[in-house]
Amino acid sequence: MSSISELYDVCWEEMRDKLRKWREENYRNSEQIVDVGEELINEHASKLGDDVWIIYEQVMIAALDCSRDDLAWSCLQELKRQFPDSHRVKRLAGMRLEALERYEDANKLYDSILQDDPTNTVTRKRKISILQAQGKSSEAIRELNEYLEQFVGDQEAWHELSELYINEHDYAKAAFCLEELMMTNPHNHLYCEQYAEVKYTQGGLENLELARKYFAQALKLNNRNMRALFGLYMSASHIAASPKVSAKVKKDNVKYAAWATSQISRAYQVRGTQECTLGVFPVRLEDSCHTLLMEPPLL
Amino acid sequence: MASSFWKGVVGVGLFALAHAAFSAAQHRSYMRLTEKENETLPIDIVLQTLLSFVITCYGIVNISGEFKDMDASSELKNKTFDTLRNHPSFYLFNHRGRVLFRPPEQEPSIPSAQALPSNPLRLRKLENYH
Repeated sequence: MSSISELYDVCWEEMRDKLRKWREENYRNSEQIVDVGEELINEHASKLGDDVWIIYEQVMIAALDCSRDDLAWSCLQELKRQFPDSHRVKRLAGMRLEALERYEDANKLYDSILQDDPTNTVTRKRKISILQAQGKSSEAIRELNEYLEQFVGDQEAWHELSELYINEHDYAKAAFCLEELMMTNPHNHLYCEQYAEVKYTQGGLENLELARKYFAQALKLNNRNMRALFGLYMSASHIAASPKVSAKVKKDNVKYAAWATSQISRAYQVRGTQECTLGVFPVRLEDSCHTLLMEPPLL
Repeated sequence: MASSFWKGVVGVGLFALAHAAFSAAQHRSYMRLTEKENETLPIDIVLQTLLSFVITCYGIVNISGEFKDMDASSELKNKTFDTLRNHPSFYLFNHRGRVLFRPPEQEPSIPSAQALPSNPLRLRKLENYH
């Protein structure tokens, strides 16, 4: 069996840096993490120094995803040996129990951690995840709401709550959660775009207009966001097609939809020519995207 | 290596700064000794101070890693929902990965076991791990 370093011709530092990048940017490519991480641990553990413990944690979680319980168990043993009384390691043990579907045992473990340290936020979030895994979504929502009343700044939790609400089709509350996220991250085009999509799903004339405005905002923040461009087109066309609008609004929206269509077709054309001229690919993408999306008409 | 050159530059700059400071202190004590307190600091000491300061700053800028864009949204241009939607504290493990990647020897005698060997994922896994 050939190892990763032979297959891809990388050295151990590059493997370690890749793992760090995946860890920091929340990639969930568990198969790759297990392959790369397992090799790093087995062959280069001494060279990693103190990084090795966080890599053990990362590989353990990825191993649980890939049903590699043997690897997860060995990582957990190493971590337990190094950090015998750590809450973080106990939480990892709890996650392993969750993966084995022993939810009562996991809950008991988390409760013992919370008795020791009532402010441990990660453990509370794991308890909420257990409720979600068991399918008790309304209880999970209630617990997450209580958690957010105490820890208002936790953006991950707000985003998770918005997803839970979307799954329950409670779009008004999901929109509220996304508004919180947009307030704390005004420069993030993805939250704007997701908010616009929720508003678009809710339907109704005011929501469609709001959706169109937020799609435009997402485009202003990132003119390469194709999804927002499509959303702008769809919301503008729906408003124009609605029977309840005045003639002026209809005309404006037809103009917006036409602008969006032209931008979309230009983007596809540019992409098409790029695939033929591979040599100049990076330069052309930058140039074309800056000139591609001029300021949208006044929205 | 480039960074040791710039570290050398910073070192030289700091040394020149210290040297200029020492010279200025010596000049002051010389002035006190010869009682000519109204003479200003010689121009070469002043020039050396300023120059060494500039060299040190330039060297530090080159040591200290990549600059980030001032525009907060530009570093998000390449982010997608693929990674934004993953919340590590809320990861669930009751997904199909638990079954798809299950090692072959754990398979009990399920009636549909005949279908499994033709599963391409399972075959690929067998190749990888044997």
